[in-house]
Amino acid sequence: MKRLASFRLALRLLGREAGAGELTLLMLALVMAVTAITSVAFFSDRVRSGLAQRATWLLAADMVVNADQPLPDSFAAEARRSGLQLTRSVTFPSMILSGGKAVLSTYKAVEPGYPLRGEVTLVGADGQERTGRWRPEAGTVWADSRLLDRLGARLGDTVTLGGARLTIAARLVAEPDGAMDLYNFIPRLMLASEDLAATGLIQEGSRARYRLMVAGTTPQVSRFSAWARERLPRGARLENVEEARPEVRSALQQGRRFLGLTAMLTVTLCAAAVMMAVRRYLSRHWQQLAVLRCMGLTASELGRVFFLVFLWVALVAGVIGTALGYGVQEGLAYLATGWVGSDLPAPAWPLFASGMVAALVLLLGLTLPAMSAIRHVPPLAVLRDEIPATPRSVLTPVLAVASLLALASWLIGEVDIALMMMAGLLVFLTVAIGLAWLVVKAVRPGPGCATIGIRAGLANLARRPWLAIVQMAALSVSLMALLTLLVVRNDLVAAWQKSLPEEAPNTYAINVQDVQREAFTRFFKEAGQPVPTLSPAVRARLMSVNDRPVRATDYAEGAARRLVEREFNLSWRDSLPEGNRVTEGHWWNPGSRDAAFSVEEGLARTLGLAVGDRLQFDVAGTPVDARITSLRAVPWESFRVNFFVVANPAVFSGMPASLMTSFRVREQDRPFVARLIEQFPTVTVIDVNQIIVEVRRMVDRLARAIELMFGLSLLAGVLVSWAALITLRESRMLNAGLMRTLGASRGQIRTVLFAELMWLGALTGLIAALGAMALGALAARQLFNLPWYIDWRLVPMGVVIGMSVVTLAGWPIVRRVTRTAPVVVLRSL
Amino acid sequence: MASSNMNEVDKTLVLEARQLAKSVDFHGEHLVILREADLSLARGESVAIVGASGSGKSTLLSLLAGLDYPSNGDVFLLGQSLFDLSEDQRARLRRDRVGFVFQNFQLLPQLTALENVMLPLELAGRRDAREGATAMMERVGLGHRLTHFPRHLSGGEQQRVALARAFVIQPRILFADEPTGNLDMSTGRQVIDLLFRLNEEEGTSLVLVTHDTELAGRCDAICRLVDGRLNGAGR
Repeated sequence: MKRLASFRLALRLLGREAGAGELTLLMLALVMAVTAITSVAFFSDRVRSGLAQRATWLLAADMVVNADQPLPDSFAAEARRSGLQLTRSVTFPSMILSGGKAVLSTYKAVEPGYPLRGEVTLVGADGQERTGRWRPEAGTVWADSRLLDRLGARLGDTVTLGGARLTIAARLVAEPDGAMDLYNFIPRLMLASEDLAATGLIQEGSRARYRLMVAGTTPQVSRFSAWARERLPRGARLENVEEARPEVRSALQQGRRFLGLTAMLTVTLCAAAVMMAVRRYLSRHWQQLAVLRCMGLTASELGRVFFLVFLWVALVAGVIGTALGYGVQEGLAYLATGWVGSDLPAPAWPLFASGMVAALVLLLGLTLPAMSAIRHVPPLAVLRDEIPATPRSVLTPVLAVASLLALASWLIGEVDIALMMMAGLLVFLTVAIGLAWLVVKAVRPGPGCATIGIRAGLANLARRPWLAIVQMAALSVSLMALLTLLVVRNDLVAAWQKSLPEEAPNTYAINVQDVQREAFTRFFKEAGQPVPTLSPAVRARLMSVNDRPVRATDYAEGAARRLVEREFNLSWRDSLPEGNRVTEGHWWNPGSRDAAFSVEEGLARTLGLAVGDRLQFDVAGTPVDARITSLRAVPWESFRVNFFVVANPAVFSGMPASLMTSFRVREQDRPFVARLIEQFPTVTVIDVNQIIVEVRRMVDRLARAIELMFGLSLLAGVLVSWAALITLRESRMLNAGLMRTLGASRGQIRTVLFAELMWLGALTGLIAALGAMALGALAARQLFNLPWYIDWRLVPMGVVIGMSVVTLAGWPIVRRVTRTAPVVVLRSL
Repeated sequence: MASSNMNEVDKTLVLEARQLAKSVDFHGEHLVILREADLSLARGESVAIVGASGSGKSTLLSLLAGLDYPSNGDVFLLGQSLFDLSEDQRARLRRDRVGFVFQNFQLLPQLTALENVMLPLELAGRRDAREGATAMMERVGLGHRLTHFPRHLSGGEQQRVALARAFVIQPRILFADEPTGNLDMSTGRQVIDLLFRLNEEEGTSLVLVTHDTELAGRCDAICRLVDGRLNGAGR
């Protein structure tokens, strides 16, 4: 056969079959899967790039060298040579005088070019709020409202800063790197660097931080950081915002997991619908395929014709699904904006091809086995009205699972979670089929079993065991999804939102010296405040793993390189920190002498560390050695003081360390914090309230986006149920038609059909409820670090919903069978 | 027997079955459907295969047409041993030389009557498929039904379209399986008249499976299947 002829035949078949609705189910299932996949892909991409953009704002630069002494000029020279933009700032606490009042304030003197990233928000003398990349002109300062209030000053007033008198030109509302400053608890003032010398405030021993900020392309920045790292003076460090705020990353990652899992549920449901649609298509076309074989089409020609038909379907579904996916994603972005800036960057163009790829992967993965069945249609089938044999091939499950797995790992972004989800689904299907088989076996009718009456309904299920099992398994998957949506989702999302407690600590105190420990806790006790737990902390750099020196260049992943390059905060304690959970290995016995480390699991994953590995850290020049004895899941979003690496106290006995803690400051307790700062001037107090507010807002908005995704899953569940019920309908019609011909009354048939549908629904609902319970419990525990979660209400709910859904969906059969003449029913099949 | 002599004989034969047998194992039971059947059909000849329901008529037809595998024996179609060929080679052999007519018509429901008739021509790569098919539809008296879909045609009309589809490639041999089985008597007669007329015009050999003895009587030879044995190859 000429290629053109098969192409033409395929097109002709496609056009006619699309018109006749033969391909509707397949098309709908594919479109929905592609919509789910592309919407999440688009959305994740936009959020990722949006967050990366936003992250640089927190630094006002791409990277910062932060030092307690002015940096050598070679740093700026090298940055310029690397083609980077650069600017500098000096931050220090000092008194400010105005109208006879003196207030402690944080000064920030900035050079031209500030801020390199992000924007400053100001209110000028005209009362108008403005946002832009500005800095104060020489001779003027910007003060925040706290400072203005305490000084009782207004815009236009003059203030005295050491030896200089400067004019307050604007009220400072927000500055990009404000949250990163250590002294952000006290009123703030920004001035031009040109005026700094005139103040005479910077002297030997001033507690000033000198920051060299750079911005440029990623290669430029990493080249410069590599250069700078080699030459860092004592007391200097590199700042890169990506690791600075694990809370934000953690919330975002969980949000992405939720979205990815929901999308994957949709895709899996759609895949089930696709498989059912293809199977139905095959069984309806079996004889036609045989006719074509009789007419002389070879196996490969026949395969080519139907491959082309399916390919067209995939292409059309890919285009429609991508367009819909873009729309849904716009909806997601609309619900989620506000926390990554008012507008997200546009999705990357290559993603538009992802819909096509997804449609092709799904269709190929799910229909290749069917295609091979098409190739093997015996021409003899034309003479026999036989039901097509299910294509028996190991390829079917392997291909289907492989293609779903590929899509899942791409969507969720974490292969192990994708694997877990697919394994879970397989287990569920196996258990569902097993349960259905047991039920069918248990009611296997003996000879002479009733054909009329309620009991006959159950017996009828057992008379066609495989049909019943397939229908139960297919329906229970979608019902499980439905139950998950109705019950589990609400509770999971609520629990997730609750994991960010209203009472989360919002203030960190660092640099508490060991000798201050007692005075510090007493200060809290005397003020009637809850006494926070102080944890020791040292800065440590990872030197070697299993005696192999660690080099950044050994790691391909950028995140891993940066982790190796930076210093960790390392702590030690006897007991597992509150909220932490050991995921592998064992926590040490309190008081033991073991040289043991416990490592956060995400860090371990990134750096490829495992229990039993020997780590060596450099702590202020002293090497510290120990083995990893456990990995921990850390609730970053708790805002308690958390550590990537914790050691058995025995490892650090006698080593000097400063202490840190976190506690909650209510609005009315602000004066207490001010007194704390006065009392302990060397202690650094950091207000993270803004970050908490931001993370909470992010979680709330992501939760709304996830609900939209769940809506899509719900539609997919309806689609699968529809596909399953179509086969159910067709199988029941013939029987009922025959029974009427044999003289059964409408009432008798109605009873049998209803009984059969109710039994089917109840059993399906039960299986689905058990599945939803397991899914909820596993997801809570394994994916979201939430407590075990089991809801027994699901069982009665599942049974009732299953009975109602199946019976309602089957109602048209009963109506059609009892209202139309038997011969019409028989002929219509 | 000299091989050259064999070939000479084969040339006149369109179809020849030698010691053809078929048995199946069904639930542990060995069922013999066909025992050592011999049959030959020359160019332009017609043979009717008759027998009771379940006697194995359709099985014999499917073996003769190469749609099924025998347990033993061989079939030569147009001088070619069918079971030396692969499934695809048999398909190519059928493509422009073998026609089929089935009891339940087996038209493709998505294609119009004309497209159904065009299909074999297109499969054979003929450029004049539309013209050829239209002419054939005229010959079966359905020139006014070209754009109708099978579901809008009566049973008799559907079978006439099936005849047009079978004859449009001018086959060397036609296999017909109970072509009137789904038709009333008078429609069935019209279809059979058409079948034999076309058969004669085209000089096609015909293998006709039927349980209608009157219909069988119109063929050159009658073979009767009883208990899996093929009896008599003559009037």
